[in-house]
Amino acid sequence: MLKIFYLIILLSSIMFSQQIDFQSPENIKLFADFLFCDNDYLRAIDEYEKYLVAVDDDLVQFKITIAYSSMNDCENAINKLGLIKKTSPFYEQSKIELLKSLYLQNIDSVFYAVAETLINSKSLYANNAYRLKNTALLLSKTELPEKESFLIPFEVEEKKTISDFYNLKKNPPYKSEALAGVLSAIIPGSGKIYTKDYGDGITAFLLTGLFTYLAYTNFEHDHPTRAWIFAALGAGFYVGNIYGSVASAQIFNAKVNFEFNEGVKLFLEDKKYFTPNYDFCK
Amino acid sequence: MIINKKYLLSILFIYQVAIYSQTDWVRWEKSDLTYQLKNNYLEREYDLSIESVSDVIVKPVINAYWFFVSDVDGANCPFQPSCSSFLVQSIKETNVFQGVVMFFDRFTRDTNIFGRHEHYPRYGKNHFYDPVSLYTLEEENINYIPAKTYVNE
Repeated sequence: MLKIFYLIILLSSIMFSQQIDFQSPENIKLFADFLFCDNDYLRAIDEYEKYLVAVDDDLVQFKITIAYSSMNDCENAINKLGLIKKTSPFYEQSKIELLKSLYLQNIDSVFYAVAETLINSKSLYANNAYRLKNTALLLSKTELPEKESFLIPFEVEEKKTISDFYNLKKNPPYKSEALAGVLSAIIPGSGKIYTKDYGDGITAFLLTGLFTYLAYTNFEHDHPTRAWIFAALGAGFYVGNIYGSVASAQIFNAKVNFEFNEGVKLFLEDKKYFTPNYDFCK
Repeated sequence: MIINKKYLLSILFIYQVAIYSQTDWVRWEKSDLTYQLKNNYLEREYDLSIESVSDVIVKPVINAYWFFVSDVDGANCPFQPSCSSFLVQSIKETNVFQGVVMFFDRFTRDTNIFGRHEHYPRYGKNHFYDPVSLYTLEEENINYIPAKTYVNE
């Protein structure tokens, strides 16, 4: 009797589980939402696309663009953003998202044109576009506007950081290649010390000094062959160090540019490219 | 015939373990041990072809150094490319005079044993990455890589 009871329970549970329609639009959307909030964007997009076949949903269309954008697939994000209708409640957000994708795709001409349009519009996110445009200007080669006007769109807490970036962009702490070379010509190694390669500078000074001393003493003691070999080596290290100091200044300047660019990029990432915060996963 | 369940279960278990262990042939096959360090970062291009006047002197000297000294002594240069490869590459990318001057500068960096870890990106486990492109004095060729970053070319 007990066995029959267990069998009935088991069978009914199996039967019951078959009743759920996993492919219904509601369930597809639930699953897609779960994947989206789990940052499994690629699979979430697949499920959302399936859902959109059955239901026209502005929110889901927008979430697809956010999913693409989160994966840095800017091309698809831009394509999908173009499909968002003017009547959609997410139309305004789609514009600033489009600007972000254009920035990440490095399409400068289109980015600045769209940014200007958005800034001059009555959009809710006009100021966000203004901030993104100005921050992007820090990474471009174009001349920056006056500091006062440059800082206008930024919030109070952002102004300090942006002001520092502005000053660094205007007056980067570069080292002069010519000065590095001249310094090393006067005192071997000093050019490298100037470019903060302290170890290399001291080594260059010691090597040049050592071979010059060896050449000098050998000439003095009438060993011309050895003396000329040491003199050649000393001259090699001397010229090599002048050359290396110029190269070292170039590398130092490349490091300054790299750190500046990384700093601005990190700031933008931290600010989520001035896009609004969405609470889709609450 | 009455079969003892305990024995049957044990036999089945042992049999299954024995069968399963035999399926993974590749993993368990016999292999000869080698204690030789991998030197795949060393790309010796033993080449005596003459492409320029400088090759008449430089290439035989470098090839002889690699064959008689470097390959016998082992890969002791802390940099990638090694100092001798740096000389060959720098001459190839610039000219013989600039290449030799670049080599003297590289040799200075090689002699300095202080602060390397804070200065250079890493190449493999034991080498610092210091490519020729940083020193040709052509700023557009400088691809700055921060120190301590692992580089795989």
